[in-house]
Amino acid sequence: MKSAGEQDPKSRRVRRPETVVLFFVANQMFAIAADNVQEIRSTDSLAGSASEIENPELPKVRHTIERGRRTYYVVNAGAHFSLPVTRPALVLILRQFRAALLVDRIERMADIPAVHPLPIAFTGDERRWYRGLAYLDDSVIPVVEPTGFLTPEEFQRLDRASVLAASQRETEKAVQA
Amino acid sequence: MSVTDNVRENSFVLLQIGNRRVALPAGLVAELAPPVRLHVFPHTSKLISGVIVRRGRIVPVYEAALVLGGRSSSSQRFYLIARWQTGNASDLGAIPVNGECELATGEMQPPAMDRPAYVAGTLAVGEDSFDVMNLDAFVPYYSSAADESLGAESRS
Repeated sequence: MKSAGEQDPKSRRVRRPETVVLFFVANQMFAIAADNVQEIRSTDSLAGSASEIENPELPKVRHTIERGRRTYYVVNAGAHFSLPVTRPALVLILRQFRAALLVDRIERMADIPAVHPLPIAFTGDERRWYRGLAYLDDSVIPVVEPTGFLTPEEFQRLDRASVLAASQRETEKAVQA
Repeated sequence: MSVTDNVRENSFVLLQIGNRRVALPAGLVAELAPPVRLHVFPHTSKLISGVIVRRGRIVPVYEAALVLGGRSSSSQRFYLIARWQTGNASDLGAIPVNGECELATGEMQPPAMDRPAYVAGTLAVGEDSFDVMNLDAFVPYYSSAADESLGAESRS
């Protein structure tokens, strides 16, 4: 039987220092690898370019934004992590994934020495949400996994809803004209 | 079996979890840690309240008091760090305790038929009798009890 506890703790870590962006959602600090973030914008600056999307099955996504001819789905991080409702002020537009993240504020960038694997006792959705845990300045901070915000099935569902919403907007424009 | 093995097998730590005083095989116990900071973050795993950092390791904290009844004391939260089994792997886990732990020796007797699955046996120390905990059964027991409770609520 494999005993995770008996292994050398050092061998269980992904010992690769990396730069992360520390951000807050509902007073909870998270980290995301700086390489995973393409752009950080204020919600105000994106107000004109965001479109609403109707998807009652996925209430954490209510808007899309267009960047470089790609549609990004805006995920409310508070809703994703089941945290209390807040008024997000910033959007983290992710690199490589068609998702953006609504967050309350950015704390700072930091170098973390390692990402510790999530203990095996954690067996729920958090295994998809987090790459692991970072220990920085006497705090344990979950390091988010960008692919964990939307599953491939959720992307498909949102793509269908997005096409429908675009077609409704076109129809409304035609009627008004 | 050596004398040392035999002594270890018959050694138990008596501790207070929630309202109950119970026993834990001493061989499973790694250490009694001081009341260090509990770090919390969003997750959906049942019975886990957060993690502590001990000797450079991140150790999950199990609210065992939820299974045994009662609440963990908010003051004097020491942590008993012990080995837990999850699936095919084992790892360390911590239980909040009030810090009053004592070592006892004795032979564990099989549990009575009506004892829950998290009771591995019974230990007699003097005139007192203690349930010996099977930590690996805590999470499945609590999950199934929570599911039953939810089911009952939805039916009523």
